[in-house]
Amino acid sequence: MSGVPWQNRWDPLRELQREVGRLFDGLDGLPALRHLRPYPPINVHDEGEGYVLTAQLPGVCADEVELTITGETLTMRGERKRPEGVKDDSYRRQERLVGRWSRTITLPDRVDSTQVTASFSNGILIVRIPKAEGAKPRHITVATGG
Amino acid sequence: MNVTNPSIRNPSIRVVVGPGAPEEGSPGRQQAESPQPSRVSTPPIDIHEGPDGLILEADLPGATDKDLFVQLEDNVLSLRAHVQSPVPQSARPIHEEFSVGDFHRSFILSDEVDRDRITAELKNGVLRLILPRADRARSRRIEIRS
Repeated sequence: MSGVPWQNRWDPLRELQREVGRLFDGLDGLPALRHLRPYPPINVHDEGEGYVLTAQLPGVCADEVELTITGETLTMRGERKRPEGVKDDSYRRQERLVGRWSRTITLPDRVDSTQVTASFSNGILIVRIPKAEGAKPRHITVATGG
Repeated sequence: MNVTNPSIRNPSIRVVVGPGAPEEGSPGRQQAESPQPSRVSTPPIDIHEGPDGLILEADLPGATDKDLFVQLEDNVLSLRAHVQSPVPQSARPIHEEFSVGDFHRSFILSDEVDRDRITAELKNGVLRLILPRADRARSRRIEIRS
């Protein structure tokens, strides 16, 4: 069938809003760049006795993350599901990523993989990984020569 | 979930309607008075239309109720959150993909919002704001008499 689709509600303002939204997405959101960034973003700190890994995982529950460690390689994976019952055309703006993700990070020194602990705090995953005995910093007392 | 249920109304999240500067000790102030320039990041948001109005969700990983400030003035909605680092200051960063500091975002809402019925909820680092449409902004069917 050709011609104007009369069955659709004619809503020029909505179309305009959508176009403006698209224009702004291109300017401030830079979604293309956002997708190039690794997800989730991870920070790793050295606390001396061990490493602390923090990952931004807002809206994710503890049972939705699978965490494994093999030697010094830590892998985390999970899925951020799209909200149920929300139709695609009801979105005016959609910037939060959904879908499956996984990240692998190799720690710079030997760790004790049996003592790893992980917790969630306000959408941030915190993993504490103690260093292996031989990798911990050790204070050496300098004896005075006599 | 019943969005009009007052039990989800979170009294600890400061939602300010109308003009007014952030109170003493609020995230906005901390940012201005902080001796070190804190890093401000733009949180990704989703806005979708629900049956009664707009639903806004923002990813604010690490944010807590007491450090979150939401303001609606005229049609400008602004979100501010101050995030504390979960890692002690003494820890040495060895890998950094995100910065810990403040979140800030403001935008213009095109619809009229019923200011008295705004509800806010913060869960696992995700802010969910329900902005019910004001009665007079609701679309009304106009009968055409033949």
